[in-house]
Amino acid sequence: MKSEPGDRDTLQRSRFKTTHWTIVLSSAKTSDAPEIARKAQTELCRAYWRPVFATICRNGHSVADAQDLTQDFFVMLLNGSLLSLADPSRGRFRSLLCAALQNFLSDKRRAAFRKTDRGRMRYVPWDDWIAEAPSQLSIYGRELQNSSPERIFDVRWAATIAEQALQRLSEECERRGRLRMFTALSKFLSGERVDTSYPSLSASLGVSETTLKRVLHQMRVRYRAILREEVARTVSNPAEIDDEIRYLCAALASEQ
Amino acid sequence: MNDEQSFPPGLSDLPLGSDQHDLRCRCGSLVRVASGLCASCLLRRGLESSEAASEDFDAFLASVDVPDRDWRLGQYRILEEIGRGGMGVIYRARHIPSQRVVALKRVLNYHGDSQETLVRFQREARAAASLDHPNILPIYDVGATEDRLPFFTMKFATGGSLLGATKAFRDSPRRAAKLISSVAFAVGHAHEQGILHRDLKPGNILLDARGEPLVSDFGLAKWLEAGSDLTRTLTVFGTPGYIAPEQADGTTANLTPATDVYSLGAILFELLAGRPPFLGEHALAVLRQAAENDPPKLRSIVPKISRDLETICARCLQREPELRYASAAALAEDLERWLEGRPITARPISIPARVYRWARRSPALAGALAICLAGAGVLAGRQVQNWKLQKEVRKSELAKNSVTILPFLDLDTASAQPRWTENFAKEFGKALSAIGPARVEASANATELKAATREFKTRSALFGTRRQVGNKTRLSIQLLTPDGDLLFQHVVDLSNPAELTRSVAPALFQLISASDWSASIAANRDPGLRNEQAREFLAAGRELTFHYRVSDFERAIHCFEKALLLEPHSALGHAYLASSAAAHTHYLADPSLLTYAQREAEEASRLAPNSGDVLRVLAGVNYQRGLFRAALEDGLRSVETGAPDGKSAALLGMVYEDIGRPDQALRWFELAKRFDARAGEYECHIGDCWTSLGDDAKARMAYRRSIDLHPERSQGWISTARLDLLSADFASARSLSRELRSHDPEDLEGTRLAAQIEFFSRNFDEAQKLYAALEQKDPDGGGSFYGGIGYKSALGRLTDNAARKVILLQECLGKEFAQLGLAPDNPDVLYRISAVESSLGKTEPALEHLQSAIKAGWTDYRSLSLDPRFDPIADNVRFQAILGKLKLRVEELSKATKWVSNE
Repeated sequence: MKSEPGDRDTLQRSRFKTTHWTIVLSSAKTSDAPEIARKAQTELCRAYWRPVFATICRNGHSVADAQDLTQDFFVMLLNGSLLSLADPSRGRFRSLLCAALQNFLSDKRRAAFRKTDRGRMRYVPWDDWIAEAPSQLSIYGRELQNSSPERIFDVRWAATIAEQALQRLSEECERRGRLRMFTALSKFLSGERVDTSYPSLSASLGVSETTLKRVLHQMRVRYRAILREEVARTVSNPAEIDDEIRYLCAALASEQ
Repeated sequence: MNDEQSFPPGLSDLPLGSDQHDLRCRCGSLVRVASGLCASCLLRRGLESSEAASEDFDAFLASVDVPDRDWRLGQYRILEEIGRGGMGVIYRARHIPSQRVVALKRVLNYHGDSQETLVRFQREARAAASLDHPNILPIYDVGATEDRLPFFTMKFATGGSLLGATKAFRDSPRRAAKLISSVAFAVGHAHEQGILHRDLKPGNILLDARGEPLVSDFGLAKWLEAGSDLTRTLTVFGTPGYIAPEQADGTTANLTPATDVYSLGAILFELLAGRPPFLGEHALAVLRQAAENDPPKLRSIVPKISRDLETICARCLQREPELRYASAAALAEDLERWLEGRPITARPISIPARVYRWARRSPALAGALAICLAGAGVLAGRQVQNWKLQKEVRKSELAKNSVTILPFLDLDTASAQPRWTENFAKEFGKALSAIGPARVEASANATELKAATREFKTRSALFGTRRQVGNKTRLSIQLLTPDGDLLFQHVVDLSNPAELTRSVAPALFQLISASDWSASIAANRDPGLRNEQAREFLAAGRELTFHYRVSDFERAIHCFEKALLLEPHSALGHAYLASSAAAHTHYLADPSLLTYAQREAEEASRLAPNSGDVLRVLAGVNYQRGLFRAALEDGLRSVETGAPDGKSAALLGMVYEDIGRPDQALRWFELAKRFDARAGEYECHIGDCWTSLGDDAKARMAYRRSIDLHPERSQGWISTARLDLLSADFASARSLSRELRSHDPEDLEGTRLAAQIEFFSRNFDEAQKLYAALEQKDPDGGGSFYGGIGYKSALGRLTDNAARKVILLQECLGKEFAQLGLAPDNPDVLYRISAVESSLGKTEPALEHLQSAIKAGWTDYRSLSLDPRFDPIADNVRFQAILGKLKLRVEELSKATKWVSNE
C-alpha cells in the first residue's frame, strides 16, 4: 500500500492527523497536491472502514457483497457525491457518515446497477488494511443480531476511535524504536486490572520501576491527547469533544 | 446463505456461543478493541481532567532507555508475536523497504552450528517459495539473521487459521467440501512439483479476508516442529490426529502423496464431525489408534451427513496408502463431483479390499487359504468367466447406448407426428447399429422426458421438430439426458428430410455411447447454476415470478440482480431478469423497465445464442413489446433448440392469440398441457382462445376447470367475469367481480375488470371513479393487452369537460403513436388508436386504424360493439360493415377448429 520509504510517508500522513475530515474531503478535490490528497483519502478509508463494513453486513449483505459495497461507498464518498448531501460545516462527521451510508444503502437499485463499474474501482485493499490492524473487535454475535444498523455503526465507530488512537500511539513508539515498550505497557492504558506486576515488567524490560511508572504516566497523557485529537477531527468545534466522547461511551455502555 | 452472513474469521466478532464473562469489563461494557482493552475505558481516558503534557512525548520516548533491541530481523521490524510452536515463533512484521506487513516465521531451537543444515533449510524453503498457486500461502523471502537463525516471511493471512474456524463448517457440509476441495487442488499442485506437505492440519490452513484457504508451511514442518534427533525417534513429524499411519512409523522413505491425502481426509472429517477421526489421552495413544484401528464411520457421529461424503472421507483415511485416492487432485475432483451432484468415484470399501487388507496384515495365513481355495476350480472358473463376461459386456453396452425417441413435432401445425417419429426411430436404429451396439425405442405418446426415459429404461432421449421454411424443411434434433441437460443440438434446412438420419448418426452414436457426460454437461451448464449462491438466487427469483404479483416481480428482479452480481456471465440470470422485468410491465406501464428487459435479453442472447431458455425469454420480451412476428420466430427457435417444454409452447400460443389466430393458439396450449404435467396451468389460456372463437360454452368449461384446480388464483374468476361482460351479462359480471374484489381489493386485474364492467355497461359515474383511482396509481397504465382499456382514454371519453377531454385524448394518442412506431404490426395498439380517434370524433382515421387492427390480427368483435369509445362512430355504415366482416371471419376460424374437439 505504501510505495515510498518510511519517514516521508509518515510525515505526510501525520499532516492530516489534526485536520477535520470534511475539510480533508472537500480539499481533496481541489488540492494542488493530488498525491497528498490521495494519501489523506486512503487514510480515511483505512481508519473508518470497519463501522461501514459492519453496518452493511448488518443490513443483510453477504460478506463478499459487503466488501464490495464498502468499497463503492468510499469511492462515492471520495467523489464527493455523498457528502454533498449534508452541510459539512455543521454537525459531526460520525452522524454525517452514518447518514450518508444509510442513504447509500437505501438506494439499492443504484448499488445493484453499479456492478459493472465495480471491477475497475477496487479501492480498498482489504488484506493490507486488516494486516495493518489485525486485531478485531470483540462483540457478541447475539448483540449484533439484535441491534439496529445505526447502533452497530455507533458501537463500531466508538471502538474504532479508541483503536485508532491506540494505533497512532503505537506508531509513535515504533518510530522511536520503542514498540516493545508500547506492547508491554499498552495493557495498562485502559486502567483495568492487569495480571503482570510492575516488578516483573521492570525486570523483563530492564528498567527501574520508577522509570516504568513515569513511562506509563506519559503514555496515558499522550493517549488522552491523541484520542481527543482524533475526536476533534470529527466534530465541528473543540467544545463538542467532551460531548462526543460521552456519546460514544454511552453507545458502548448500552451494549449489555 | 445463513452461514455466509456470519463474518469471516478475520473480520469476525465472537461466535454466538462465547463465554460472556471473559469479556465484560468492570465498567459493564462488552466491547473490546486491539489487544483486548475495553473500548469504553479507553475512551473515558479522553474525559480525564486535562493535564498539560510535561514534555514532548517524542523527546520523552527518546530519553527512555527501553529500546526495541532485538525487534528487528534483517530488513524486518517485528510488530508483535502472533504464534509460537514447538520450535518456531511467528511474528507480524513490517518489511522496512516496502513497508509491507508480512508474517515472519523463525526457527528458534535450531542447531545453527551446521552450515550444511542451514543450506538444506534454505533450499527447501526456496522450493516451497517457488510454489505459485492461489490457495498456497506465498513465501516472500528466505533468510537468516546475524545469529544464523533461519527465518522466512510470507503473506500475512488476515483470516486466521482453520483451527479457530472449524465450528463454522459444522452445519455446512457443502462449505466444508468446497474448502477441502480448494485445499486439495493446492496440495495436488505442490505434489506435481514434487513437494509433499507432510503436516497438513487445521493450523496450517490459513484463511484470507474472504475466507479462502491458503495452505502454509509446505515441506517446512520438520524445521519448525521437530526436536533433536533423539526426540525425533520418539515423536514424529506431523501432528497426531492428522498424520497417516505410515508417517507415524517415523520412516520418511515411503511417504507419498497419499500421506497428504490422509491428512486432508482427517481435516475434512473434523470439519464435518466436529472432532478429528481419532481421539486419545495423549499423542502416542492417538497415533497408536490411527495405526491399529479403522476410523469411526462419519455417519455414526453425524447421521445426517451424506453417504457420499462419508465414503470420500473413508477413502482418504484408509490405512493402506494404496487404497486411498492416488493423488490430492483426485480427492479434489471427487469432492467437486459431489458438490455438483454427480456420482463420486469412491466406493464404500468392498469385500475384496477387506480381504486385501486382512491379507496384508496376516500374510502367511492368507497365502495358505488362497492356495486351498484356488487349486480346484481355477480352470473351469476362467472359462465360465470369459463367457459370462462377454454377455455382461454386451448387456451393459446396450443398457448404456440407449435412447428414447420422443414424439417429434410439426411446428406448423403444433402437433405431434407419431408416424414420422416411428419411421425416424427405425431408420436411426439401423444407422446406429451399423456403427456399434445401440438400443433405440420410439415413444409414441409420452412427451415428458423423465417419464419416457424411465419407461423405456434408456440413458438418453432424442427430440426433434420440423417446419416449412421457404421450399425447404427446417429440422431440429436435440439429444437430452433424462434430467433435460442438452447433449447435442442440430438445426438444419433440408430439401429431403430423410437425409437427416444419416448425417447425424455418427455424431450421436459417439455421444450416446460415451460413458460419462458429466464434463460436457458441466461445460454447458450456465455459470449461474454452477455457483451455489447464484443458483439459490435464481431459484428464489423463479419461484417469485410464479406468484404473478407486482411486488413479487420486483423482489424477483432483485434476486436475479443479486445472482448476476455473483455471476455476471450467467445467460440464465440475464434471461430471467429480462423475463420478470418484462412481465412486470404487464402490471405497471414502465417503458424504462421494458428497455431494461430488452437489454438484459440481448445480453443473455449474446452469452448463449442457441439456448432454448434464452430464446424463449427473448420471445417473451418481444411479445411484451408488441413485436409479435419476432416473438413468433424466437418462440419457434426456442422449441427447436431446447428440451420439449410447456412454457415455450404456451408462449407461442399467446403470440398466435394476439396475431389473430386463436385456432392455432389453441393447438399450442393443448401441446403445452402435454409437455407440462402441472394440472390446470393453461386452462385459462385455452378458455381465452374459445372466447375469441366465440364458443362460450367451451370457454366456460375451461375456466371452470381452472377454478376447480386452482381456486386460489384469480385468473379463472376474472376470465369468467370477462366472458360475462363480453356476452353483455353485466349483472353476472358485476357480481363476480364484486365477490372477487371482496377477497382481494388490491388485485389489479380485478380492479381493472370492475372498471371495464361499469364502463361497458354505461354506468359512467362509477366507471369514472374507478378509472380515476387506477390512473392515479399508474398514469400510463391500462391498455396494453387483450383490449385492455387505457385509463386515460376511458377518462377522456367519460369527462364532460370538453377541453379536458381533448387534452387527455390527445395525450393518449401521442403515446399510442409512439408505441406504434416501435411495433407497427401490433393489433392492440392499432385498436386503441382507433378507439381514441373515435372518441375524438375523428371518424375517418378511426375507421382506417380499425381496419389495420383487424388486418394485423384483432379478432375481438364483442368489445368493439360494447366499447363506449366507439359510440361516436357506432352508427357509421362502414363501421357496421367492418364489424360484420370480423364476425364472419371469427366464425370461419371457429369452424377450422373443429379438430380440437374431435381429437
